[in-house]
Amino acid sequence: MSGQNAPAIQTTRLGKRYGSVWALQDCSVSVPRGHVSALVGPNGAGKTTLLKILAGLSAPSTGEAAVLGRVPGQTGDFLDSIGYLAQDVPLYKRLSAEDHLRLGAHLNRRWDASAARGRLAALRIPADRPVATLSGGQRAQVGLSLALAKRPHVLLLDEPVAALDPLARREFLASLTEAAADGDLSVIVSSHLLHDLERVCDYLILLAASRTQLCGGIDDVLAAHRVMVGPRRDIADAGRGFTVIKSTQTTRQTRLLVRLDRAVLDPSWAVTEVGLEDIVLAYMGERSTLAASPLTVIGPAR
Amino acid sequence: MNALVWRLHRNQAYIAGAALVALGALLLITGVTMTREYHAFLASCAAARSCGHAGQLFAGDGAVTSLVDATMAVPLLFGLFWGAPLLAREFEDGTHNLAWTQGVTRIRWLNHTVLWPLLAAAGWGAAMAALVSWWRHPENAVGAPVRLATFTFDIQGIAPVAYAVFAVALGIAAGALFRRVLPAMAATFTVFAGLRFLIAEYARPHYLTPVSRSYPPFSDNAAPHGSLVLSNATLGPRGQDYTAGLGFQQVPAACRGNATGQLNSCLASHGFHTQILYQPASRFWAFQGIEAGTFVVLAAALVAVAYRMVLARDA
Repeated sequence: MSGQNAPAIQTTRLGKRYGSVWALQDCSVSVPRGHVSALVGPNGAGKTTLLKILAGLSAPSTGEAAVLGRVPGQTGDFLDSIGYLAQDVPLYKRLSAEDHLRLGAHLNRRWDASAARGRLAALRIPADRPVATLSGGQRAQVGLSLALAKRPHVLLLDEPVAALDPLARREFLASLTEAAADGDLSVIVSSHLLHDLERVCDYLILLAASRTQLCGGIDDVLAAHRVMVGPRRDIADAGRGFTVIKSTQTTRQTRLLVRLDRAVLDPSWAVTEVGLEDIVLAYMGERSTLAASPLTVIGPAR
Repeated sequence: MNALVWRLHRNQAYIAGAALVALGALLLITGVTMTREYHAFLASCAAARSCGHAGQLFAGDGAVTSLVDATMAVPLLFGLFWGAPLLAREFEDGTHNLAWTQGVTRIRWLNHTVLWPLLAAAGWGAAMAALVSWWRHPENAVGAPVRLATFTFDIQGIAPVAYAVFAVALGIAAGALFRRVLPAMAATFTVFAGLRFLIAEYARPHYLTPVSRSYPPFSDNAAPHGSLVLSNATLGPRGQDYTAGLGFQQVPAACRGNATGQLNSCLASHGFHTQILYQPASRFWAFQGIEAGTFVVLAAALVAVAYRMVLARDA
């Protein structure tokens, strides 16, 4: 699987258990190279666990993971190929950005310090002050610069904008888009809010209740989901050719958010397109029923 | 890797280095004076044939002597401020996530992170122990205080090197276990102080079988100069302890009529004797070797535990 054709990330029935609690279960995803993927799910859905496994920091309890065809682990080739920015952007507090850049040069075979210095200078981030004195947004940018300086092929970012104000968020995501446009880089960026990522991502991995609910190109996801509104009826009688993700009943009508298997022909339904945020919220809200249903993976565009 | 370790811990190294220089300066100045006093005393006492009072020679150097005794706590400081935060700080701040996703493998990172502080502690401990041993040389030569006794034993020779290495290893293992600085420091303090006390108090006096000497009962005989006396007891013929004295009823009937002067020799002929158990001063280096060996082995075991916990557990 190794080499140019291997997907950026691929997991097969991946699971991670802490004691008796499954933080991630039965997670099968495959993301081709060259995408910026949003890893979305509510808090505790297993996003951090998945990213830590992909970064080689955590060993899976069950299943398999591969990044660019390599099993995440303690080899130089694997470590060279990834960039990872952990939640809350851990940095050595008393060291400056410049110190971090110098250390990175010692710790990595590939290291593009001049690009990182250029980025920090362009953002007017003081490189000589201890990072503890920088703002949250500036620290996130330092963290991103360090991860990018490795010239990784897969960049894993764990909730990088969660703690940032709206302006810093926008700047961070702009930097990310710019970096992703540049060369052979696949990005997986997690957030508990899709809203943050919708504009910069073209691929979606949705985790809820520690399982994969969706994995696919955002266009494919949009094409496969519809809202259907019709006279009130029992959901069991709603018809065939789709899976109900979320249903709302009023006294007079039934409203369904569905994933289509084929076109809906029943004329008693009014079928309309639906936005990505509504789709994601529907999956998050209905997690109890979905956890029991078969794995819902949408493949890449055919 | 070495650049990372140095950049993160250089301030501690500077502080420790400065403290060592200050201690060294103080001990060199006072030590030279002491050596001079000692040689002057030897010359004068040899002329006057009264060298027996040498024990009082350095009794006046209170403050410096206290400082020298206080170097006993230095290995613990290494454990608390070098060992315990070494890994615990990384875990607490999450920076292990940063370090472990750079181009160096986790085991290589750990090798460098652990090895340098252990070496620094050994080097610092060796320098300090050498200074203190040299400073105490005149005192050791007059045999007061006894070199095998607690305090004097613990700050010279090779034992302080082993204590320093052990303390840092203990701190590292505690940090790997708790992943928080304060619990790691608390555990380091408790285990180090507790183990040092237990070994010094209960194990060390019995590293080698003590020498036993018997004398006539209630005599003034003592163990050779400089020995560590473990017990000094007057025993009856069947091993009863009469150190506190004998009642009239306990004196054998044959001896009761004796005058005080002959009583002791009469008791001796009936099996009463004074028994002294001691460790002779000549065993100092053997004891140092056993003590240092014990703590180095414990340190190695703790480092192995730390490796296991860092390499086998998730980030």
